[in-house]
Amino acid sequence: MAKSRFFVVFLAAGLIILFLTLLIVGRFAITVADLGSMLDAFFSGRAVAGDLVTKQLVFWWIRLPRTLMAILVGMGLSVSGAVYQALFRNPLVSPDILGVAAGCTFGAALGLVLPGQNYSLIPLLSLSFGLLAVTMTVVIARLISVKPVIVLVLAGMVILSFFNALLMVLKYFSDPYEELPSIVFWIMGSLSRVTWHDLMILAPTVVIGLIFFMAMRFRLNILSLGDIQAKSLGLNPSLFRLVLIFISSLIVALTVASCGQICWIGLIIPHMARTLVGPDHQRMLPVTALLGAIFLLGADGLARSLSTAEIPVGIITALSGAPIFAFLLYKNRGSGWV
Amino acid sequence: MGVILECLNLGFRYGKSVILKDVSFTVEAGLFYAILGKNGSGKTTLLHCLNGILKPDTGRVELDRQNLVLLSRQQIARRISLVPQEHLEIFPFTVLDVVVMGRAPFLKMTQAPAPEDYQLARDALRMLDAENLAAASFNRISGGERQLALLAAALVQASRIMLLDEPTNHLDFNNQFRLLAQVKELCRSRQLSVVATMHDPNMARLYADRVIMVGEGRIVAQGPTAEVMTTANIDTLYQTRTFEICGPGNKKLFLPQAATAGTDIDH
Repeated sequence: MAKSRFFVVFLAAGLIILFLTLLIVGRFAITVADLGSMLDAFFSGRAVAGDLVTKQLVFWWIRLPRTLMAILVGMGLSVSGAVYQALFRNPLVSPDILGVAAGCTFGAALGLVLPGQNYSLIPLLSLSFGLLAVTMTVVIARLISVKPVIVLVLAGMVILSFFNALLMVLKYFSDPYEELPSIVFWIMGSLSRVTWHDLMILAPTVVIGLIFFMAMRFRLNILSLGDIQAKSLGLNPSLFRLVLIFISSLIVALTVASCGQICWIGLIIPHMARTLVGPDHQRMLPVTALLGAIFLLGADGLARSLSTAEIPVGIITALSGAPIFAFLLYKNRGSGWV
Repeated sequence: MGVILECLNLGFRYGKSVILKDVSFTVEAGLFYAILGKNGSGKTTLLHCLNGILKPDTGRVELDRQNLVLLSRQQIARRISLVPQEHLEIFPFTVLDVVVMGRAPFLKMTQAPAPEDYQLARDALRMLDAENLAAASFNRISGGERQLALLAAALVQASRIMLLDEPTNHLDFNNQFRLLAQVKELCRSRQLSVVATMHDPNMARLYADRVIMVGEGRIVAQGPTAEVMTTANIDTLYQTRTFEICGPGNKKLFLPQAATAGTDIDH
């Protein structure tokens, strides 16, 4: 217990330091002094000096929402991943196992291809198709209704492949000079498009979701024992699974709708947390959330400051995620679980 | 002794195949019940009907004179615990984490176990002489130790009835007997009723107070162990011929006919 408390305090401090640092770091230099005069101007109501106007715009409308979004998305994706791994009792499960992300990606690509270039339509289509995909998965699984956990995963594969196929159709018929690159770029996942509007939608969902998951921390332990055990311990696993799937799918869908697919976080961060503090969700959920936020914040910091052209953060998470996962597998060998 | 659990004309089907038909028996406080039957005779299904994991198609199960389907999962879980047959690969929880999960039916939805709950979990492990396992990883201990841990979890969970699904399945020769002796002791000391499915009639013969024989989904014979455990009944149940042999303390044990064929040992 003491060990996990130490990790939580340590990681929270690290997150705050990283957050403050990344407000200053970037292609567009904003110094601490600049921040001070901006704050001063904000509270006193005076206008800022001439050269600060641009900096203020960059800070308020780009950098601040983007860093906050990185924290929210990192927490949301990693904790959803942890919940999914407990639900499906499988360490290889990530939140897109039920086809959420594939549905979202198809929806977004549809929005990009549809005539009219209505960009506000893209997140809406993305969210709707993401939720549609999960609903289809759950309905198929319910129709089959034997071995609920395995059937859910298999139904998820069906839906995932179906939406990937639909995406290929869209790619094939899209204009190769205009639309295809934008679809490809969108899929890679980036926080560069983030606005306050996205943040306002995602923040309450992620916060409420995290509070709910945290409240259910002990029940998640029980659910990870399997349905028979969970039932004989007085739990209703089907209902519980449905509620948890709904909430985490909503988080993932909202994330993908505004930032594209950011891979690996939902898979590796829960593993990292389990390696640090063990599998008990009471201890590992807070550590997962903090690690996820730090990981995505750091990756996004690199994405926007490594080169003059912005690198999609999805590339960085995938490039760093794979070796980290390999290392975790090596480190946890012989725990009787991997 | 009062009846706590009663099974009345129970029937169960998976799709079109009938698994259980017209099964009736009662469970009294403080007794050890063994359910015997061939592979696929419906033993596990029957056990899962007894705590409401499976809903019977016909008939009913009554717990303290109340129909099981009218009770909530939590109400049932406080009185009936189940130790399943398979040891599922789970995340590397410690044994104490697994045992404390038995407190789940007594906690509110959003509650996590308090120090008192962990104390109860430790007490249960101590009762089974398995205190030293508390900090070990559940995935890295032996089959017998896992069985003890799950037994401790069941003890923490419910004080009235414990259902065991082939409890000696993963245990070595000696540990099988040790575990059943421990279960029997709990039966006596805590007025706990135990219903266990078993493969070995000799185990039932040695430890059970009552035996229920299930063949093709129906009860073939049931009653006090001494009355029911006859070669005739065992022959019908396993469709073989059995011989009675005399064990230590004049205890009667059984050997199937297959055991007498091809047993010439080269001296």
